[in-house]
Amino acid sequence: MEVNTIKNTIKDILQSTLGHDRFTMADELTAKDVDGWDSLSHMMIITKIEEVFEIKFKLRDLNKLKNMGSLVSVIQTKI
Amino acid sequence: MNLIFDIQQAIEDHYDYKAFCIDNSYYTYKDLAQQISNIRNEIKTWIHQEDTFVGLVVNDDIETYASIFALWLEGKAYVPIHPDFPIHRNIKIIEQAGIKTILDSSENTTFDICTNIQTKYCKTLEIDLVPSSKKIDNTYAYMFFTSGTTGVPKGVPITFDNLSGFIDAFWALKYNITSTDRCLQMFELTFDLSVVSYLVPILKGACVYTIPKDQIKYSYIFELMEDYELTFALMVPSILQYLRPYFDEIHCPALKYSLFCGEALPLDVVEEWSNCIPNATIANVYGPTECTIFCTDYTYNRVGGNIAHNGILSIGKSMKHTFTIIVDRNNNEVKEGEKGELCLSGVQLTPGYWRNEEKNKEVFFDKEYDGEKIRFYKTGDLCLVGNDKNVVYLGRVDFQAKIQGFRVELSEIEFHVKTYLDKKNVVVIAFINKVNNTEIGLAIASEEFDTTLLLGQLKTVLPHYMIPTQIKFVDSFPLNTNGKIDRKKIKKSFGEYHN
Repeated sequence: MEVNTIKNTIKDILQSTLGHDRFTMADELTAKDVDGWDSLSHMMIITKIEEVFEIKFKLRDLNKLKNMGSLVSVIQTKI
Repeated sequence: MNLIFDIQQAIEDHYDYKAFCIDNSYYTYKDLAQQISNIRNEIKTWIHQEDTFVGLVVNDDIETYASIFALWLEGKAYVPIHPDFPIHRNIKIIEQAGIKTILDSSENTTFDICTNIQTKYCKTLEIDLVPSSKKIDNTYAYMFFTSGTTGVPKGVPITFDNLSGFIDAFWALKYNITSTDRCLQMFELTFDLSVVSYLVPILKGACVYTIPKDQIKYSYIFELMEDYELTFALMVPSILQYLRPYFDEIHCPALKYSLFCGEALPLDVVEEWSNCIPNATIANVYGPTECTIFCTDYTYNRVGGNIAHNGILSIGKSMKHTFTIIVDRNNNEVKEGEKGELCLSGVQLTPGYWRNEEKNKEVFFDKEYDGEKIRFYKTGDLCLVGNDKNVVYLGRVDFQAKIQGFRVELSEIEFHVKTYLDKKNVVVIAFINKVNNTEIGLAIASEEFDTTLLLGQLKTVLPHYMIPTQIKFVDSFPLNTNGKIDRKKIKKSFGEYHN
């Protein structure tokens, strides 16, 4: 899957989970930069991403998701 | 036992050993001693002799931990202040505790209403860990603020007598911790379970592993446990609920002790968890901040025969210095096996809430035993004691709801829902609806499904008034800053109109 397709899908997931689109999909984007992206919504976002991409993160993957860039590349290795 | 001298001795005896691992950086006991000495000098210079309580902005760094020990060596107590808590709440705490000075390791000072000591920028001096005052018995060690029902936080001051009593009772549990151990410290320093998590390792020359603030707690804990082969870990049960979907990936044979505290511990989750940590002793400990960290202990039995009620593991028996009773609404002891409110007494008990006589009268009372007056604290926890003397936790006294005049124990409903759903986490709350009636709400951590069968099953085991009238599905439960399930938030999500 193309990086842009992955990014757009993640963007939709973020929008529907957080209820806003006040963020830019840069590789450097971290949870801290986005309103409402806390530990609880993080769980929800991760679950949703697993569902939509039909993948399953390993426990160890979760700590590698430092920013949008790493999230996209971890997803790429799984699909 | 004189705790402050034991701390001095332990640090001095282990200079070459690692004391802390913070964000993958190690600090030796000598590094710690150096930081403590530097910060003490600032305390001596800037803080008046008579000022007891000093604010401490709690960051995840060596300066913050060193500040605690520096304050203790100077005969002062720390009041943790969380930089991410609402400023309004922090100011209330500063005012209530009468704080004039704050120790802060942040780059920029967080509070300008007090004198600030920036602990990152202290002069380097010769190491000196000799306590300033020889007599510490009745001095305060710390004061933690817990949420009050009226919205004003309540201060719980803990003395060195209280803390020494706890440490002595902890050693009596006979956990074998030495300078080769690696111990988890997963708690915010505003939560008193952090105290045992850093203090016990330091007293034994062991190494403390902390969680950086920007990390996802449960997955980071798992990596610490595996990568650093942690040997001792005290956690809140919610961490297990988060890790549960990944249990088959977890294998930590190095772990020797796995303790749980802070909320109800479900037996079935512990049974599964025990396979991930094949060599560990698992214990469920219990206690409110008012009785210094924890004061009862139950050791899980791997071969079975564990004591549980509604699927919740027993909190066990009183530790060495605590005496417990179960009372009715009139503070009279109930008969063996009957439900009532758990009350605690002993040296770990706080002298009382800080400047809050009203609350003190409400929750502390005296009772005579063998001609001696004993002071008790009412925990608000509904418990019973069986004939084997183990205490079973049933829920909060205020989790008890009155529905259509009937007394309802919410934990009982949770138990039956969990039994039917198998491995799904659920929370049952009572909330006041628009027409001021109490309704039962059921929140299930799961994808949506048809609940007809579930409700049908519940109707076969529970009276009609205990059947939930509102059901919600969530991906996971909101947690409060202490890492416990935030029942208030769940209540609000059901449209609670009153607190």
